[in-house]
Amino acid sequence: MLHSFTYLAPRTRAELHSVLANEGAAASLLAGGTDLLVNVRAGLARPKVVVDTKKVDDFAGIAWSEREGLVIRAGATINAVLDDAKIRSDYPLLVACARDLASHQIRNRATVVGNVVNASPCADMAPALLCLRAHAVIGSKSGEREIPFSAFFKGVKRTVVAPNEAVERIVVPAASAGARGGYYKLKRINGHDLGIVSVALSIERGGEMRLTVGSCAPTPVLIEGLDASLPADAVVAAVLAAISPISDVRATKEYRLHMVECYVRRLLDEVRS
Amino acid sequence: MKIGVVINGALCEREAPENITLLHFLREYAGLIGTKEGCGGGECGACTVLLDGRAVNSCLVLAAEVDGKSVRTIEGEMRDGEPSELQQAFAKRHAVQCGFCTPGVVMSARALIERNPKPSVEEIKEGLEGNFCRCTGYVQIIEAVLEATGQPASMQELSHA
Amino acid sequence: MLETANSETLRQIGRSPVRHDVADKLTGAALYVSDMILPGMLYAQVKKSPHARAKIRRIDVSRAKRLPGVRAILTGHDLDYRLGLYVVDKDILAKNEIRHFGEAVAAVAADTLAIAHEAVELIEVDYEILTPILNHMDALAPGAPLVHPDLASYDFVEAAFSPQPGTNIANLTKCRKGDVEKGFAEAEWIVEREYTNPSVQHVPMETHVAIAQWKSGDRVDIWTSAQSPFTVRDLFCHTFKLPLNNVRVVIPNVGGGFGGKAGIHLEPLVACLSRKAGGRPVKFQATREEEFSLLPCRSALTYRIKTGVLADGRIVAQKMEMFWDAGAYADYAVNVTRATGYSAAGPYEIPNAWVDAYTVYTNKPYGTAYRGFGHVEFFWGLERHMELVAQTIGMDPLEFRRKNLLKPGAITLTGEVITEHNGDVRKCLDSVANAIGYGALTPAEKAREARTGLKIGKGVATLHKAPAMPPFTATSVVVKMNSDGTVIANVGLTDIGQGSTTAFAQIAAERLRFPLNKVRVTIEKDTDRDPYDWQTVASKGLMLTGNALMLACADLLDKAYQTAAQALRADVCDLDHDGDKIFIVHRPEISVTFAQLSIGYSYPDGGAIGGPLIGVGRYTAQGLTNLDKGSGQGLPALDWTYGAHGIIVEVDPTTGAYHILKIASAYDVGKAINLESVRGQCIGGMVQGLGTALCEGYIYDQQGHLLNPSFTDNKIPTCKDLPDEIDCIIVETPQLDGPYGARGVGEHPMISVAPALGNAIRSATGAELTHMPIRSEDVWRAMNSKPPVETWITKTPVGSCRSLPVDR
Repeated sequence: MLHSFTYLAPRTRAELHSVLANEGAAASLLAGGTDLLVNVRAGLARPKVVVDTKKVDDFAGIAWSEREGLVIRAGATINAVLDDAKIRSDYPLLVACARDLASHQIRNRATVVGNVVNASPCADMAPALLCLRAHAVIGSKSGEREIPFSAFFKGVKRTVVAPNEAVERIVVPAASAGARGGYYKLKRINGHDLGIVSVALSIERGGEMRLTVGSCAPTPVLIEGLDASLPADAVVAAVLAAISPISDVRATKEYRLHMVECYVRRLLDEVRS
Repeated sequence: MKIGVVINGALCEREAPENITLLHFLREYAGLIGTKEGCGGGECGACTVLLDGRAVNSCLVLAAEVDGKSVRTIEGEMRDGEPSELQQAFAKRHAVQCGFCTPGVVMSARALIERNPKPSVEEIKEGLEGNFCRCTGYVQIIEAVLEATGQPASMQELSHA
Repeated sequence: MLETANSETLRQIGRSPVRHDVADKLTGAALYVSDMILPGMLYAQVKKSPHARAKIRRIDVSRAKRLPGVRAILTGHDLDYRLGLYVVDKDILAKNEIRHFGEAVAAVAADTLAIAHEAVELIEVDYEILTPILNHMDALAPGAPLVHPDLASYDFVEAAFSPQPGTNIANLTKCRKGDVEKGFAEAEWIVEREYTNPSVQHVPMETHVAIAQWKSGDRVDIWTSAQSPFTVRDLFCHTFKLPLNNVRVVIPNVGGGFGGKAGIHLEPLVACLSRKAGGRPVKFQATREEEFSLLPCRSALTYRIKTGVLADGRIVAQKMEMFWDAGAYADYAVNVTRATGYSAAGPYEIPNAWVDAYTVYTNKPYGTAYRGFGHVEFFWGLERHMELVAQTIGMDPLEFRRKNLLKPGAITLTGEVITEHNGDVRKCLDSVANAIGYGALTPAEKAREARTGLKIGKGVATLHKAPAMPPFTATSVVVKMNSDGTVIANVGLTDIGQGSTTAFAQIAAERLRFPLNKVRVTIEKDTDRDPYDWQTVASKGLMLTGNALMLACADLLDKAYQTAAQALRADVCDLDHDGDKIFIVHRPEISVTFAQLSIGYSYPDGGAIGGPLIGVGRYTAQGLTNLDKGSGQGLPALDWTYGAHGIIVEVDPTTGAYHILKIASAYDVGKAINLESVRGQCIGGMVQGLGTALCEGYIYDQQGHLLNPSFTDNKIPTCKDLPDEIDCIIVETPQLDGPYGARGVGEHPMISVAPALGNAIRSATGAELTHMPIRSEDVWRAMNSKPPVETWITKTPVGSCRSLPVDR
């Protein structure tokens, strides 16, 4: 059961920005719909206007250039990420996170941009994006601004994106290509599930080690600036100090802490060897 | 708004509200009741259809979004009035019990074998992960997909003690 | 009644023909009540309580009433009917008091679903929130608030149940065999422990849905997704005091039931809405969230077992106390209590036994029938306990079980003598033990452990169940011949996916000696057209209805032979038949076709004899008795189906994560009618049992709100959750009174999966699990001797990622 709303499908950026400028918080952006429609059905979101971003020219696809790096546009789905040859060869951490996101049907619709804008603490794509130094390009009538993901998430389901703005693309720097990495996501079953905890680790070509932990704080948590050769105990300590998991219906705080430690140690073993 | 969508190869034009899902549109505006609602929230896969060739949960797509697009449902699975290789294999391998998940499972399987003509058991599981079945326990479904794609299809036979 | 045709001469039985119901399911043509739209139909929505326990101070429907398109609104006070299969304790809509989260308080029927939805939002309810009683063990404490303070005034089925007014006990079932205190005195070891399971949901893929039309003259038509049209009709008429002839119930295809669609659920409410709306049909379909809390679930259980055993491993005494958390209403839970009471010791010989089984009321969504009827729940405790007893006395758990298994001549808890015809539980157990290489790990398994660092363990568990049904359960079948000699069988037993339609076609074809394609068994059920069957529950359909079907086929042939004898001028005893015709045995060229006989035989001059060929068969369970309320003695069991599971599990000792490498399951089915259907039940039931073991379970907060009312946090197994290897083994010890020797196996595959897993995990890691579900965190805690998480009524905060807001 969905309440009544107006559906708009702007064709250009200008149109999109104009609608957002006029409607602000009364509008919700619709990309894959796999979060928005769930929320509308549950009565958690009651937009007056649903703005479909998929017809905006230039919002589709994934591009790569040596200059900019990897550009994941607003309409790029999770399965598009999994199918992209460049991402598979040079950004395997994105593949690792994408592969375990929900089910095949969801991945055909859910977008990377939508996943980060929804900003669940469990957001599946956030760990890779944080480790890989990605930033969001946010557009509005006033122009564009770039926000690194380390400054993007503000709280549970809250980001820096204002009601009159839209994330138009995500950029993963060329320098992050070829980073070694790994990812673990704890689920309750082997089948599709959200993350009870998740840990991503990447070691950049330059030698810095970065980890991101999901589902252990109001936002995904980045631990950066670690030397790639740091002893495991020190890495674990740094990670545990940065996170604040809770106990809920999915797991206890104690187990979450334990599993984060397990995953960190495993990833260090696997990625550093 | 007016929605024009090609369903199973034929154009379907209807006046429909903006706030209905594709699932709702198929069942109540296009008269195609084969696609089922199991949860309404994109978890169970009973509502799976092919949208421009990709398997999607139709409960999480607005009808408005498919204007100008092409959708395939279970009603379009037969080939020239005869059951498709998937339908035949599902029948032969007892992959159907109560049948409520079946349209969604068949459409997911159809999408799978179109992109991967000879999927392994692991690949079948990846492709059907988003389809719940409470009756069969999945094994006979997996065997049906193996059979439909010309692969050896017995995960384990029933044996006598 | 058994036809002892040997395997070589059987042509239909024991094969796996394609099922007759699947063609339409595969094209989308199969109709379910979910798909039905009737002319003039209205849509219903329900206002549900957000509180677990509250007084209803005031309901204001005035704004809802004014909404254009609203055709009927009902609240509790509009309806003066009580419902209750065994204890009549429920109103159609809550009257003065809410007793569980999600309980229906008001209902609306409107022109469209959207209008009905909006109308429900406009209904205002003023609650006085009360403190709920949530934990069933707390509910038993003296002075606990009463869920049903007026229990003394409720009608109930006295022959079988004992509610205890002034308490939260809806029923107490006792079973006494021998002298348990004397047994304990003789025992050399006494082992006691407690085991628990949470509530879980059936999760049929099609949620509950019903359409009803209350026409003039109090005639009511009902279309419903349910497990028996006769049960719905009869309970409906009982509630509304209508003659059975006034009500017609139709069931097309059903999208799964698993016990949740047994009995009666939404039908009275939609019928009352229809009556209020001037007789327009009204449809209500539960959302998935409503399925989890408005509709019933499976009772939770706390099971305390105390076993006295001799040093050589023989059990001498066992005291069993079951505390069933039935939730707010008794529904089927009191009968689950009774049925498990007599089955509680499992397939073991216990010379001295004491069972006290309680059905306890709490302020939570209530328990109804669920596949296994309590056996999945109590076998968790029982088979984990058998393992513990063996460990305690230093005996191998498989040997311990073998030592105590029921053998021919053994006496059950109710005083029934087991014979070799009941089935071979020993063979089932041995088969699975062999299939998993029970005992030491193989060199390959040891090498795997060394290579992966994961621990491998093996465990077994047995199971048994008899149909939980009245001792006088009856069924009937009508078989009609069409004028071309093909046959239609009207069978009242509903096919909810288990494959009865095809099994019956096979049985009929076999009995008639017709090719299978000449026989059709109807799929849609209609109380106006179909002959009576009790319900599709209890794994008794194949036996009872199969027998009735064979009798109906015999009757049809008998009538055909009578007419053929006249037509051929022969004695009946000199006739035989094949798939097309009846002929004289010693002059086979003299024959008459079934087609010629089918609607009467006419002579060349036009005169006719005989008439339409219709065979009627009915079968009633034979020789069963009620259980004595004091001692629990009697003969309740139509048949016993025995089985066992063996599991090889691999456990990560660091995280508690585990994976099932192999599960082997064996059942004594008597005779498999359709092999792939049997396999379908085996695997489907096993996976549902795996769900109960792995991840299913209701979680409430301290106020009784259901925290996981959707698939987000109430997971069920997907195809990626399958064990690597799945062996299904059947034993065929013929059931002497079963059709071709068959007995049921519909519920059994679900039973004992969980304890086999628990036993295997213990074998791998030493972790002792006594509660369910078994998630990786639970294994980790048990391995590290940490206290288990109190998940079901959690004290921990909900946290950020909760599924749905608490609203409406």
